[in-house]
Amino acid sequence: MLKICIRKGLMHRTRVSLATLLGLGAAMLAAQPAAAQTPADVAVLAGSCANCHGTDGRSPGQIVSIAGRPETVLLAQLKAFKSDTPPPGTTIMNRIAKGYSDEQLSALAAHFSKIGANAPASAPAKKRSK
Amino acid sequence: MLGGAGTAAISFSMPALAQQSAGRVVVVGGGFGGATAARYLKRGNPKLSVTLLEPARRFYTCPFTNLYFGGLRTFEQQGHGFDDLRKLGVQVVHERASDVDAKGKSVTLAGGKKLPYDKLVLSPGIDFRWGALEGYDQAAAELAPHAWQAGPQTTLLKKQLDAMENGGVFILVAPDNPFRCPPGPYERASMIAHYLKTKKPKSKLIILDAKDTFSKQGLFQDGWKKFYADIIEWVPRAKDGKVVKVNAKTREVETEFGGKHKAAVLNVVPPQKAGAIAGRAGVTNQSGWVPVKPQTFESSQVADIYVVGDATIAAPMPKSGFCANAQGKVAAAAIVETLAGREPPKASWVNTCYSLVAPDYGISVAGVYAVDEGKLIEVKGSGGVSPREASDDFRKLEADYGVAWYNAIAQDSWGTVSG
Repeated sequence: MLKICIRKGLMHRTRVSLATLLGLGAAMLAAQPAAAQTPADVAVLAGSCANCHGTDGRSPGQIVSIAGRPETVLLAQLKAFKSDTPPPGTTIMNRIAKGYSDEQLSALAAHFSKIGANAPASAPAKKRSK
Repeated sequence: MLGGAGTAAISFSMPALAQQSAGRVVVVGGGFGGATAARYLKRGNPKLSVTLLEPARRFYTCPFTNLYFGGLRTFEQQGHGFDDLRKLGVQVVHERASDVDAKGKSVTLAGGKKLPYDKLVLSPGIDFRWGALEGYDQAAAELAPHAWQAGPQTTLLKKQLDAMENGGVFILVAPDNPFRCPPGPYERASMIAHYLKTKKPKSKLIILDAKDTFSKQGLFQDGWKKFYADIIEWVPRAKDGKVVKVNAKTREVETEFGGKHKAAVLNVVPPQKAGAIAGRAGVTNQSGWVPVKPQTFESSQVADIYVVGDATIAAPMPKSGFCANAQGKVAAAAIVETLAGREPPKASWVNTCYSLVAPDYGISVAGVYAVDEGKLIEVKGSGGVSPREASDDFRKLEADYGVAWYNAIAQDSWGTVSG
């Protein structure tokens, strides 16, 4: 249903035009003001995710668990939700993801990737700066 | 210790206290807001002494009781106990808080005992403005239930619905804003219409509304047209929908411009205000609701008292269980940080609210909220309702996600998925 789809093009694109950067900047301004985030800030930011995805992102039901998933996968998915063409099958996450700056989405992806226990057997999430 | 201090500034000089306990926090109310605040206080700092006051041994949520009316769930499935919070080290006391001494910083229990606090969290939910709607007081509610607080009122309304003859008229009186759960009356109408359609198809449901617009209106009305065209009639205020007088004995109501309606079952959702303890604590204003500092949900009138959930003035956030839970976390984090002598973290909230129109037909509204220049705002470009045009699969998914949401938030609040 809510398939995790990594778009290679999106992930590995390294050259970004000035226009894209400006566009991105405008998008971030339109969302929340960006500023340094403390661990406590990120914990609060992540707190809202638990209401559907379960405490610490471990879901008790049909909504996907997000705890322990690779950071890159989480971030790609969040960015796909935020884009104007969300993945097929999206119902509500596009409306929610648009409420966060890219910096906040990165912080959320990093946060949930580090919550362990049910982490998939794949390699640990690589640190990845935007 | 800090007993006589009573001012907010003192809370930063805590190192002496930290030796024994990181601080004493009392939480009043075991609903979505209070249970969540208690849980996240303990998670944030296990050394905090956290006491939760909730008279009920088992808390029944209003969300999802509409599905009980629809015959899709039992009443017990909305019940949640407090064992998981106890396991976490929260002291759960099943007594009512009857008073707050904001200067002396203590809560008085119904039995007379006083509980001192360094920080107090109130999650009192709503109370009703008895008499604000002529003829509708507590005695009237025993005849024409509100069922807007889950419990005996809920099962009473269900009994009346079950006993109603095929062909009877169910009248739902919907209040003006603000009130608990803005889409609630319309989901209730949907679920009761589903019950009538399947069990008593000659019956009708009339919504007499004090408003001209309501939450998720287009989506609800699309659904009603699809499923309940012959059953539901919505009467907005502009068409004389506002009820001004109730006769609970005869189940008759009178509207603003003299209209009269008689019901077989009369469900009145009356005007509301913050739960009574908020008034005792001095945190309500003239509106009867509680103004708060958006960043922390600390009362803007009384230091060291944090208020979360339906009782607060938190627009554009709605009065929903989801918001109460989200506010509980923000308040808990602010308290944890403040008691440790640090700045409260940056606030952030989400609301997601699913409504079930028919068994496999769900709709939703979402919003992301932040503080901007000291004001609570909905983040631009975020949120909104489900698309008007959507496939049956989409509606089915949202119906399923509604149930999944309930289980997730119940686990996040009480640690139990379903009763």
